[in-house]
Amino acid sequence: MGTDTLDPVIHASARLRITATLAALPAGDTLSFTRLQDMLDLTPGNLITHLRKLEDAGYLTSEKTGNGTASRTSLALTSEGRAALESYTEALRDLLGGL
Amino acid sequence: MQATHDNGPIDVDDDGEGLDPRQAAVLLAQSTRDAQRQFDPRPPVLMALMGAVVLVAYGVLWLSTRGQHPYSGPSGGAIVFTYTVVVVTSIAMVKLHRRASMGVSGASIRQQRVEGAALGLSILCSPMIQGAMYHYHASHTIVYGVIPAAGPLIIVGTTMLGIAGIKADWPTFWAALIAVIAGMIALFVGPSGAWLAAGIGLFIAILSFAIVRAKLQARKEITWAPTPSTP
Repeated sequence: MGTDTLDPVIHASARLRITATLAALPAGDTLSFTRLQDMLDLTPGNLITHLRKLEDAGYLTSEKTGNGTASRTSLALTSEGRAALESYTEALRDLLGGL
Repeated sequence: MQATHDNGPIDVDDDGEGLDPRQAAVLLAQSTRDAQRQFDPRPPVLMALMGAVVLVAYGVLWLSTRGQHPYSGPSGGAIVFTYTVVVVTSIAMVKLHRRASMGVSGASIRQQRVEGAALGLSILCSPMIQGAMYHYHASHTIVYGVIPAAGPLIIVGTTMLGIAGIKADWPTFWAALIAVIAGMIALFVGPSGAWLAAGIGLFIAILSFAIVRAKLQARKEITWAPTPSTP
């Protein structure tokens, strides 16, 4: 089954889970790195790698506040990220519907 | 990407190689469902359970006042039971809300805080009116019957009605409307009947909320994804 129509930025298990999880939040809300890591059960290094790819594609924004132990990284999908997930979902649906 | 953690070893850096569209659909459906459940501060099943608990609490108040002539109010045991139920339910709701919103920040969380303050204030209104009625020597029928039974449903229900209407949160809107109507009915069915009317009304309101929420959640789910066992 061809996957050419699927957005390669999202079409990876970890990034798909990250995107779907952040998309479940209302637009404008952010999620802490710690909670996301806890929800997805990924190692920090693995999570950072995938977050960076999503951020480079403009699908995600991250903001670090505070210093030291009080610091916090907040993550949110951009409107482009939400639109990309919607397109990905539609493409996936079309692919499976064509079976 | 900056993170505040010891990054640890970078294990898998999958790039979708070998991720079948079927697997992707299952993963997408599962991840969306899991996230929605974890971010939901009012899970339908627990809300339905809460509705049943509320019905039992109001039922105990009704049973303790049924057949009183003249009306003197709920028994001490019934009041202690009801307050215990209220405290336990409130703690459970706060814990659920905290767990759901842990790590989440933004406009919706700020909005929830404002709503919480408005609801907290509206909850205080009924005991204040009850106190004023007592102060002005109103009868036990009013002070220990009609006002405490019907007042919270009308006052808190109307506050929730306004908040839900502004947010277009229709499950909450209709549940609040049912509660307000039940409170209005409770005003006219006598002091003992007021507890029964309020309990049944609140139960219907909470249960209908839980059912509508469950249906809306089911509608949002990705139903076209194959089941995980599909080869």
